[in-house]
Amino acid sequence: MTIDQFVQTMLGGLAIGCIYSLIALGISMIIRATDILHFAQGEMLMVGSMVGLSAYWMRDLPFPIVLLFGIIGGGLISTVVELVVYRTLRMQRVALINIMIATIGVSIVLQNVARLVWGSEPLGYPSLFDSKGIVVAGFAVSPQLLWIVILSALIMGTLILFFRYTRLGIAMQAAAQDPDVARLMGINVDRTTTYTFAVAGMMAGAAGVLLGSLFFASFNMGFITGIKAFVAATLGGLGSVAGAMIGGLIFGLIETFSGMLISTAYKDAVGMVVLILILLLMPNGLLTRAGREV
Amino acid sequence: MTHSNIARIVVLVLLIAAPLVQPNAYWVHVFSLALIGVILAFSQQLLVGMAGIVSLGQGAFYGIGAYTAASLSIAYKLPFLLAILIGGLLAGASSLLLVPIVRLKGSSLAVATLGFAIIVHLVMMNEDWLTGGSIGLMDIPHPTLFGLPVGGETAFYYVCLAVAALVFLTFDRIAHSRFGRALTAMSQDEEAARASGVAISLYKSKCFLIAAIASGIAGGLYAYHSQYLNPNDFSFQKSIDILMMVIIGGIGSLPGAALGAAIVVLVPEVLRSSGEFRLILFGVMVIVLAGTGNRGLAGVITDLVKYAIARWWHKPAPTTAAARVS
Amino acid sequence: MTPLLDVSGLTRHFGGLVAVNDVALEIAPGSVHGLIGPNGAGKTTMLNMVSGHLSSSSGWIRFERELITKTPVDVRARLGIRRTFQNLKLFREMTVLENIMVGMHGQTQCEIWHALLRTPRQKAEEAAIAEQARKALDFVGLLHLAEMPAGSLPYGSQRLVEIARAIVASPKLLLLDEPAAGLNGAESKKMVGLIRAIRDSGVTILLVEHHMDVVMPACDTITVLNYGKRLANGTPAQIREHPEVIKAYLGGGVKRRPKADQPKAAEAAHAAS
Ligand SMILES: Nc1ncnc2c1ncn2[C@@H]1O[C@H](COP(=O)(O)OP(=O)(O)O)[C@@H](O)[C@H]1O
Ligand SMILES: [Mg+2]
Repeated sequence: MTIDQFVQTMLGGLAIGCIYSLIALGISMIIRATDILHFAQGEMLMVGSMVGLSAYWMRDLPFPIVLLFGIIGGGLISTVVELVVYRTLRMQRVALINIMIATIGVSIVLQNVARLVWGSEPLGYPSLFDSKGIVVAGFAVSPQLLWIVILSALIMGTLILFFRYTRLGIAMQAAAQDPDVARLMGINVDRTTTYTFAVAGMMAGAAGVLLGSLFFASFNMGFITGIKAFVAATLGGLGSVAGAMIGGLIFGLIETFSGMLISTAYKDAVGMVVLILILLLMPNGLLTRAGREV
Repeated sequence: MTHSNIARIVVLVLLIAAPLVQPNAYWVHVFSLALIGVILAFSQQLLVGMAGIVSLGQGAFYGIGAYTAASLSIAYKLPFLLAILIGGLLAGASSLLLVPIVRLKGSSLAVATLGFAIIVHLVMMNEDWLTGGSIGLMDIPHPTLFGLPVGGETAFYYVCLAVAALVFLTFDRIAHSRFGRALTAMSQDEEAARASGVAISLYKSKCFLIAAIASGIAGGLYAYHSQYLNPNDFSFQKSIDILMMVIIGGIGSLPGAALGAAIVVLVPEVLRSSGEFRLILFGVMVIVLAGTGNRGLAGVITDLVKYAIARWWHKPAPTTAAARVS
Repeated sequence: MTPLLDVSGLTRHFGGLVAVNDVALEIAPGSVHGLIGPNGAGKTTMLNMVSGHLSSSSGWIRFERELITKTPVDVRARLGIRRTFQNLKLFREMTVLENIMVGMHGQTQCEIWHALLRTPRQKAEEAAIAEQARKALDFVGLLHLAEMPAGSLPYGSQRLVEIARAIVASPKLLLLDEPAAGLNGAESKKMVGLIRAIRDSGVTILLVEHHMDVVMPACDTITVLNYGKRLANGTPAQIREHPEVIKAYLGGGVKRRPKADQPKAAEAAHAAS
């Protein structure tokens, strides 16, 4: 592998890793706040991707606006699902594992509604950036990949600032860590939970537009990507937001490098083997969530 | 005779009658598929309902059993029963790969089994010499029993019914044994079970082993049932479906698992006429049934029956200790 | 007489905290040995190391002269070390009887295939387990609740179920972690009687307890822990008079029911300093 190839692969791995991170973030936030394993997170990505694409079709919008539409689409659908389905189930005190199966039901519904609306053929995303290679520090890199990394970093950075410095963000953190204490402090935990789903959906929606721009959009693009992000979140430590980001990046890099160096066919298997090994050494993943016994 | 024995006999009679009532070959074919699903759901119930282990990897054992039986039958012309038995045993043997991970807890264990299922699926996709790769295995011979061909869908249905009944009996006896009691205890409080002398990791491994054998046998039946195998029949989606059967039907009850399997297999077929809305309706149904509470559909039905008995016979509804494998 | 349990230099760190620090302990067969000390003294940690639920940082544990420091929990249980938990650990959805039957697990053998074939041996064993379990339930006075789900019992009865589960297999050593916690005065008295009765049936007991009115009458010998260290060791009478114990206790810690002899203890502490 030449240095040039290495840089290319690295950038590719980081880009796909960032996308996993964005989805895994949402998965982890939801686990932290509700203990729900959200198997429909990938569908939020798919909806975000589709909404972004539809917006682009209607008007020839610039990429940041398309991204914004994706974020809004993912956030909206996630909020609706939380309010209509998950909140109802939680109020009936349904066991977590049942809610987990309900998330799979949600995933089936969203996929098939999307198939009705957008069809079953993969939809090409227009190339949103100049596809000519640019040269950074002497290496030819794809601007597409570079932009994905930069935009993801921006979004995740914004999220961190939101959690750290805004009232709502702090309240959401507090409610996730100890709902009872948060209630005593006057935080409306039901509401912060809904916001958690909204933010998680926004992250996934952003990932959807970025992933679409890399390949294409289709009604079933979410499930496998969501499962992989799930693995990434587990790798990082289920419930840890920082762990989800790191887990996503690691997973993306492993996948890309093993596809390059070992075998394209087994690149996913390498990621799974790494996951299992890490869990054997650290049963709770790389980073454990703080504040609660796991 | 106890209530549960009467219920079992009634269900058995209904199942025996099913192909006579609906002799259409297509539907009998689907009924057999449902029975194979029932066996898979039993295997998951042993894990989730008794031992409290969420496995997202049963589809892998199902596939290993199916490919083994099919290969043995194609290459060595092994008799039907022997082929599916070896398929089950090989699936069981492969579950020993999970021994190192059984000490993981909750979601970590579930995701690790998912990882296992994904790896096995990739092997099925890519090892052409072993599995025919993405093209799959074709021309699996027709099953024969003791030298006689198992002719037609109905005969095969009864074979599936016999195997499912056998698995039910086996698991029911396991549930009511020292081993089953230890599993139930373990699922409710691991530390306390350990302090009573239960070797937790060993028991979890045994549980995976038994469940894998049952799933593998179901796989063998499936191979003969469809006579064509494709790796996508055994993707992790299948593993998730199997878990779904148990949750919908009701955690902890074998009849519940069977009911859940019947729903997951049959409902999409019944809904075939609703065309594109088929899977949307199915998804909505999954959500609603998952919301019926922790004892699933089986719990709802039991409550209704008890209510009816109490109402019409003026007998007090019997109270049982929470839902468990019965 | 050689001690049934012999612990030496037992230490456990939690990060920077030394929860149990170089503690030695000897328990004579057939006795009730108390382990007392203020909250956070390390009593539960000590018990967890003896049962095997926690590994020790250093030191060793001998049971019937055999070294068991690294033996897993379930193996120790089968050797005859059984326990209860400070914060009740019952199989809540199983019946009371089934809870106790699980207690027989380590002492029974029938493998899965016995159950599949319903062998005579399996039937005999199941019957024996149920019989033993009923006896143990009768012993703690809960036979009438045998078929109830364990989680539905009142708190005091749940404590008794846990004890029955621990003694059903006739252990050699029984570890009790605050069995009287949350019990009222009358129930505590009964608990003392039960502890003596278990001892009289031939079970050696290590009793962690908070309430002096349980510890003093129930125990033959007592070890006092403070900040993870062994402070004193002796008979209840010796412990009562031990100046350092009095000091540690009055310095805040163990809940003590207000009693007339409180001022006397204060005087003794004053005299000792
Ligand atoms: N699992 C643990 N992790 C960290 N610290 C612990 C743990 N268990 C106990 N401790 C600490 O060790 C000390 C002794 O605890 P414990 O043995 O429970 O005391 P006791 O039973 O005497 O009240 C306490 O300071 C407690 O906070
Ligand atoms: Mg304690």
